[in-house]
Amino acid sequence: MSLTASQEIYVSRLGRGTLGFAALVVAVLAGICIGETPIPVSIVLQTLANRIFGSAYVLDPIDMGVIWNYRLPRAIIAACCGSGLAISGMVLQSLLRNALADPYLLGISAGASTGAVAVTVAGMGAGAISMSLGAFVGAVVAFALVAIMARAAGGGVTLHGTGQIVLAGIAGSQLFNALTSFIITKSANAEQARGIMFWLLGNLSGARWPDVWLAVPIALVGLAACIWYARALDAFAFGAESASSLGIPVRRVQVVLIGFTALVTAVMVSIVGSIGFVGLVIPHAARFLVGVRHGRLGPATALIGAVFLITADVLSRTIIPGQVLPIGVITALVGAPAFAVILIRGRRAP
Amino acid sequence: MILEAHGLGWSVRGKPIVTGVDLVVNEGETLGLVGPNGSGKSTMMKLLAGIRQPTSGDVRVKGEALRAMPRRAVAQLIAFLEQQAETTEAITVKDAVDLGRTPWLTPLQPWSPKDDLIVAQALADTDMEGFERRSWATLSGGERQRVHLARALAQQPQILLLDEPTNHLDVQHQLSILDLVAKLPVTSVVALHDLNQAVSCDRVGVLSGGRLVALGPPHEVLTVERIGAVFGVRASILTDPADGTHMFRFHPAS
Ligand SMILES: Nc1ncnc2c1ncn2[C@@H]1O[C@H](COP(=O)(O)OP(=O)(O)OP(=O)(O)O)[C@@H](O)[C@H]1O
Ligand SMILES: [Mg+2]
Repeated sequence: MSLTASQEIYVSRLGRGTLGFAALVVAVLAGICIGETPIPVSIVLQTLANRIFGSAYVLDPIDMGVIWNYRLPRAIIAACCGSGLAISGMVLQSLLRNALADPYLLGISAGASTGAVAVTVAGMGAGAISMSLGAFVGAVVAFALVAIMARAAGGGVTLHGTGQIVLAGIAGSQLFNALTSFIITKSANAEQARGIMFWLLGNLSGARWPDVWLAVPIALVGLAACIWYARALDAFAFGAESASSLGIPVRRVQVVLIGFTALVTAVMVSIVGSIGFVGLVIPHAARFLVGVRHGRLGPATALIGAVFLITADVLSRTIIPGQVLPIGVITALVGAPAFAVILIRGRRAP
Repeated sequence: MILEAHGLGWSVRGKPIVTGVDLVVNEGETLGLVGPNGSGKSTMMKLLAGIRQPTSGDVRVKGEALRAMPRRAVAQLIAFLEQQAETTEAITVKDAVDLGRTPWLTPLQPWSPKDDLIVAQALADTDMEGFERRSWATLSGGERQRVHLARALAQQPQILLLDEPTNHLDVQHQLSILDLVAKLPVTSVVALHDLNQAVSCDRVGVLSGGRLVALGPPHEVLTVERIGAVFGVRASILTDPADGTHMFRFHPAS
């Protein structure tokens, strides 16, 4: 029995999808097993079987608690944040046609931090939802400000190849980081301040199940949006005017996708703080591996982002025995050199 | 009356760039637009393509106001070849031409073998077969222009708007591309710099300072006096002994 060409494409796509999902599962398992006290895979699998399928393996309740209440939600959150931030970066890079665009550099993360901190300090309930809402408002305000600044400087969100938006983003980041510090210094008590500073640097140790139920749907929605708009994103390859002449409602696509980006970033920031470089570096790595077509690039970016952040989290917990590094330190250690490579290659491009 | 403009104008920061253009393009004809640098040819093309909104007047396609139509419906009717469109993305020739199918696809109506055939035909028409896997950055200027044209053809439009489609092409491809456009069963508006090429259009419009100063059959519009007035050069008309056609030669005005 032979397959037709389109069936073959379908099968190979299915194959790649399965492979990707397998990689994600392996990464999550590794994220659970590795830690200050390593836990054997068999115990991890038995715990998961007990909790999910109701089987009755006899296990140490402490191990079970660590696995189910701490390490599993942490690994899932890491995966969601990694894929969400990477997807956001990819969308911004494609829409703005700027290789350096990413929620962190464009000030969206900083705005989200300010929003989340303002909500926490003002005591409008420190629940995950209200913090996320505050972060979303902050993210949208920050991006709007950055876009206006860039446009006033002659760049604008529709122009290509200009550095204005990145420069404006850096200015915006500084402004919102300063605002965050101001709010903390002025209004937070010492204990609150310590907690917020720890969270701001990017920290997954607070990840629990309620956060999972927020992060998973948002990450999936972000991924779905970029798969739905894959052809529209492709059409931006030659700029916004060219996309428009290919039938893309440019303004609407920009507003919808940048809105999704702000939402995903805001939720992730409100859960784990602001983590840099994931959104910048991962999409470039994915382009290098699977090419520039967004139908493939989107899922690949999400997957690589998820695996990357789980790995970075494991490293941050184990690299110095007995001490947890902020995860942003790991991503920056990988990201900064990668950033330099992108800058240098961008300069050489015709 | 497939495409028409009434009192079309576009200004930026109070400065008029295109003013009061009335234009009716007939179904199936090839209309040439000529004019000096900065006379508003590209702006006119963008207004006709609907990717810039006129500040006065309007554009109608098949009697329907362009600004009221969804972008997708417009792109199924009109393909636009920009004067300059570059990318830093590492895309291939096939990727670039595939983009032409965008207005015909949705997430629920995905790519089909029929689209592959259309893309292959567009590549053949522009003499770019065998380049499918080449990356954009490695193409020469003329090859890029032919890929852009292939993308416009893959859009299967009824109206082709071409902004200087021949400006990077070698002599052979200039002729073959213009010949292809003339033979296609589509209506086209072509901005051109070579007045000898404009002569072979069905009609020619002359833009000067953002106004359409003349419109009609080439031999009526492209007179020695008008060329002198609009372009500031002295033209003389030569006759090709091979077939008796006329062509221009240009000299500095003074
Ligand atoms: N966005 C803009 N802002 C300011 N001026 C503009 C803008 N777009 C076009 N112009 C000006 O409008 C005039 C017409 O531009 P256009 O590109 O239409 O000319 P053109 O006839 O296509 O010229 P060329 O032969 O050089 O291609 C030029 O003087 C240009 O500087
Ligand atoms: Mg022009």
